[in-house]
Amino acid sequence: MNGTLRLAWRQQRLPALAGLLLVTACAVWVAVRHAELADIVGGHDLTACKGWNGACPVDVEVAVFDHTPGIRALGTLAVLLPAAIGMFWGAPLIGREVERGTVKLALTQGAGARSWFAARFGLAALCATVLSAAVAALLAWWWEPVANMKDGVYWFDPYILSGTGPAAVAGALFALAAGTAIGLLVRRTLPAMGLSAVAVLATTAFLTLFRRDWVTPVDRITPGMTPKRLIGSGWSAGYRYLTPDGVQHPLENCTFSGEELRACMAEHGYTGRVHKVYPSSDFWTFQAIDTAVYLGLAAALVALTAVLLHRRRGLV
Amino acid sequence: MNDPTAPPAIRAQGIHHSFRGKEALADCGFELPTGRIAALVGPNGAGKSTLFHLMTGLLRPTRGEMRVFGAAPGTRTARERTAFVSQDKPLHQDFTVAETLDLFRRLNRHWDAAKAERIVRDGDIPPKARIGSLSGGKRTRVALALAFGKQADLLLLDEPLADLDPLVRHEMTGLLMAEAADRGITVVISSHVLPELENVCDHVLLLQSGRIRLAGDTQDLREAYTRVTGRADPDTPDGLPAAADRSAVVHAATTGRQLTAVIRNAPGSALPAGADARWITAKPSLEELLLAHLRSTPGAPAPHTVQTGAAA
Repeated sequence: MNGTLRLAWRQQRLPALAGLLLVTACAVWVAVRHAELADIVGGHDLTACKGWNGACPVDVEVAVFDHTPGIRALGTLAVLLPAAIGMFWGAPLIGREVERGTVKLALTQGAGARSWFAARFGLAALCATVLSAAVAALLAWWWEPVANMKDGVYWFDPYILSGTGPAAVAGALFALAAGTAIGLLVRRTLPAMGLSAVAVLATTAFLTLFRRDWVTPVDRITPGMTPKRLIGSGWSAGYRYLTPDGVQHPLENCTFSGEELRACMAEHGYTGRVHKVYPSSDFWTFQAIDTAVYLGLAAALVALTAVLLHRRRGLV
Repeated sequence: MNDPTAPPAIRAQGIHHSFRGKEALADCGFELPTGRIAALVGPNGAGKSTLFHLMTGLLRPTRGEMRVFGAAPGTRTARERTAFVSQDKPLHQDFTVAETLDLFRRLNRHWDAAKAERIVRDGDIPPKARIGSLSGGKRTRVALALAFGKQADLLLLDEPLADLDPLVRHEMTGLLMAEAADRGITVVISSHVLPELENVCDHVLLLQSGRIRLAGDTQDLREAYTRVTGRADPDTPDGLPAAADRSAVVHAATTGRQLTAVIRNAPGSALPAGADARWITAKPSLEELLLAHLRSTPGAPAPHTVQTGAAA
């Protein structure tokens, strides 16, 4: 092992160990619960169970009810994991070295700044990837048998949309890069930790609130008063009324049902209803958006950190 | 080392450095030949640490050029030939002493493990002790062990002896002198305690308010000035004789009727211009010379640089 990598490992073995313990604990927990769940749902054909309107055998419904809190808890952990990585791994990565002055020692040795940064960021990125991928995989594995079932956890819930898949790993890498850059800019560990957590949570919240606006939902059109198609595993994005010219009108114009609705629709000249829905296959579209945003930001932040280090800005 | 065409250990040309718009160093230029033990002196806040950071490549100058053995500080060549102990002696607090030595051995190609271990052992520091549990003096010793272990050709020490007791200070100074004599290395050592350096150094860099006030061989510098004492001339406001060249006066003070002044010698002479028999003249000590410069209004006499060899 070369010097810079050895130094990086010596300083990161504690968080690495903490991460390993966390993954081990989660793995044991999920393995036990998943076995329980598999026992119950194993004998059933669950095709009819999926979706909001699904009809399930009672013991499966009970299992969904039983396991949903656990899945939500692990999902919460998965969603908060990037913020924790940014705080406890990213912010001190360079910030603590600058704060304590040890950066002066490290960067005046034979091995240079590039090797020093590459070793410590590379090791941290590897650990963050393994850690977040492991938690995301455990969550997905546990959730999969009871995915998208009535009163359970759906694909579009943040637990799954942000907590699993490539987006979860990209989020962890973004958090690490953000914490690292903030640590170098702020030069003090504690404020850098707070700022990193805020920056990561704000980015996740921004994506959760706005990523839907960048994807067009599918229009499910039903003529006249015909009952709407069941939502199934889709994610509803609201209703509209349709006039024969193809223009859609807001739901607020007719907020009735039965005979009153018929009268209201006739009065406005509405000939059909539109249900805007994101089908469950859009999971991958949303994942792609998150992954691209996170990885793009991560790359920009790593580049910023490298440039600041190269220009020796704020080291002493 | 004896190659006359070899670049000097340090060459600074027109260095300016600003921190957030505040100028820390202005128009610093000097050369330090190899093999010298140079004292970098100046009041607190004069820019000594900034200058060290520029020499190690931890800072880049806003303007101007710094070279260490002809290479830009921070490049691999310069880094391998330079060892730096910064004022706060930063070390990783949670490492043990043995771990620290082992890690820095791996970070450097030409490491003298035996020397580093000996320095630590001579201070009765157990290898298994955590750095954070050591006293300030022992931590300084470990920091110096890392610098000596590196086998550098240029040793940059920012206030290295400040928190050592007199005995250890003496021992460390001895170690430094032995190292300098053995390997012919160049040393820059900063301090605001002038007597501490007087016997150790053969070169001086005086920094005041971000500018070099005086640079050169200590002997040459002392020989270029004269300390004058005598009866103050009652007919002049400064007490100096009317014939004295005021532009050569570094600092003059009168106490009652007694005049003390440090004056630059006339070119080619061992005495200042206009010296006469009423003056008692002597070669100033290094401390007197430095104090006279520090007390004078900055910029009054032009900054004085004596190139080694040129004055001989």
